[in-house]
Amino acid sequence: MPAGDIGPIADDPAALAAHIRDLEARLQESEETLDAIRRGEIDALVVADATRDHAVYTLEGADRPYRVLIEQIQEGALTLDEDGAVLYSNQRLSAMLRADPGSLVGRPLSSLLTADDRPGFRSFLAAASRGGARREFTLIAADRAWIPVYLSLSPLPGEDGSTLLCGVVTDLTEHKLHIRELAEANARLKEQMLERGKIEDALRQSQKMEAVGQLTGGLAHDFNNLLTGITAGLELLQTRIAQGRLQGIDRYIGIAQDAARRAASLTHRLLAFSRQQTLAPKVTDIADLTAGMQDLVQRTVGPEITLRVAAADNDPLLVLVDPGQMENALLNLCINARDAMPEGGEIRIEMGRRVIESEQARALSLAAGAYVEIRVADTGTGMPAEVLSRAFDPFFTTKPIGVGTGLGLSMIYGFVQQSGGQVSIDSTVGQGTCVSLYLPVHRGSLPRNAVVPEQGAVPRAGGAESVLVVDDETTVRMLVAEVLKDLGYKALEAAEGATALALLRSDLRIDLLVTDVGLPGGLNGRALAEEARALRPQLKILFITGYAEDSVLSASDLQPGMHIQTKPFGMETLARRIRQLIDEN
Amino acid sequence: MTQDTETDAARKDESDHYHLRLYVAGQTSKSLAALANLKRVCEEHLVGRYEIEVIDLIKNPRLAASDQILAIPTLVRKLPAPLKRIIGDLSNTDKVLVGLDVRQKGAG
Repeated sequence: MPAGDIGPIADDPAALAAHIRDLEARLQESEETLDAIRRGEIDALVVADATRDHAVYTLEGADRPYRVLIEQIQEGALTLDEDGAVLYSNQRLSAMLRADPGSLVGRPLSSLLTADDRPGFRSFLAAASRGGARREFTLIAADRAWIPVYLSLSPLPGEDGSTLLCGVVTDLTEHKLHIRELAEANARLKEQMLERGKIEDALRQSQKMEAVGQLTGGLAHDFNNLLTGITAGLELLQTRIAQGRLQGIDRYIGIAQDAARRAASLTHRLLAFSRQQTLAPKVTDIADLTAGMQDLVQRTVGPEITLRVAAADNDPLLVLVDPGQMENALLNLCINARDAMPEGGEIRIEMGRRVIESEQARALSLAAGAYVEIRVADTGTGMPAEVLSRAFDPFFTTKPIGVGTGLGLSMIYGFVQQSGGQVSIDSTVGQGTCVSLYLPVHRGSLPRNAVVPEQGAVPRAGGAESVLVVDDETTVRMLVAEVLKDLGYKALEAAEGATALALLRSDLRIDLLVTDVGLPGGLNGRALAEEARALRPQLKILFITGYAEDSVLSASDLQPGMHIQTKPFGMETLARRIRQLIDEN
Repeated sequence: MTQDTETDAARKDESDHYHLRLYVAGQTSKSLAALANLKRVCEEHLVGRYEIEVIDLIKNPRLAASDQILAIPTLVRKLPAPLKRIIGDLSNTDKVLVGLDVRQKGAG
């Protein structure tokens, strides 16, 4: 009977009473149900939807996926109260901290932090309560291990108006390990690169030294030619003197001096080359330079070969090149020409200005413009095409071992290219070879500098000035002393540092110390200079060295009053230098 | 009510036997707690004169209809009559005893 429908029993008191009892029972049952719900004694409800299908809705099941997610997730998860005490921690966090599940609950999280991290934690919590915060921390696990973590906290408004914090704790141990491995790998890589750089440097140096070694054979050959120039000059001089024909003999002196100067510059260039020194380009008149070399070239190539030098006109042919390299190039080309004419022949050196138009410029890989062309042509054997194609390769030579380096043409090629020019070769077997150098015309004039050597009387000593000469090379030492005496200086000599030092300790007057840099006996020139300065602080010092200028002494080694003179040097030069140094102040 | 007549007859026949039916929803904590509590109470007070029938409504929700089950867990006393229900996890033993109308041995 429906609860509200009492019509049929309204007049039956007994039925009404029964109905009321039934209703009371049902009411009690409903109240008990509500009561149980209120007390939380139930955790599932049976719901019947519109189709009268029953379904069970468990309260536990509703959030189960989320609880499982938080519990099983491979990141630490926790809930903190406002003061930072742990209210909840998931399995992962317990595992991370090697703690028993549940043992973290109730502990302040700060008690798990390292001493370094604790001071900033309160403000971190405050920031997290305001709107979330994240930071790296180091937690201490139950086994005292340090666990680097990334802690990210968000505010979680509680029911009673308080604010809880919930967060994720990410273990950074592996991450840090990776970073460290990466850093280590990086460091190793850098080390290897450094090592490789060193090896490459060493390789370059060894290649250079190999080239120097290769050069030596050819250099001996070049040197012999220069020595021939010197001895020839001296022989001619001797003959003329013996004959009493003194007129014009300065020409032979000039030849010998010229050859000696070239030999000196050759050794300098060799030293420079072995140290990869860049040589300085200067405004140079090619016509002038070639004319100056004519005698030397003629002597070098020998009398069987006729040398003709022809300039297109009398105007200077100015280019910007290193003059030493240019001379070297010319000499090399003439030596090549000579070697191509064992039976004798003719070398023609021709030079002039050429305007190279675009079409020809393209063929020569040059920019169109005005060039100075220097042609060295011979009437020799010529080169077949396969030799011609390799003519510029370093160390490629058709000459017997010891005769040529194979570097001649490749060095010329490098030098001309560096100077903004180009080299071309024409060769016909049986007719001869013609090498043309194109160098850009320098627009400007020849600087009026001190290229012309100073003439006039060599300055003589002013009084009782005294110079200490230290050199283990007896000839050099004696020669220098001789010249000094001739010039009116008192010369003191020492063959090694110790002897020089003894003289310096005495009370003899010494105005200048001239010392070789390389000295035997454990005390080199540099050390001697230091000792000398300690004994005589005002002493002027001139170093003389057979090495390239800055290879043994850097500019920082040279204190005021110290100077350097490279060997070989003319006696005149030395005398002027000495005078100049003594007069300085 | 016809039910009353049946109940009276049953009380005479099986006045001492308890047929209890517990409706649960899988293994929810309250369901498990209710079953544990019920077993404990029965072992203490109804040894040898009870049977428990567990009905899992997760497996078969339609069975909720027969006893008009709304909340889970719910215990229904099928016997002795009259039919009685106790809703909840049965954690309050006194309430369970009152609800089941268990006549304590030696108490009357």
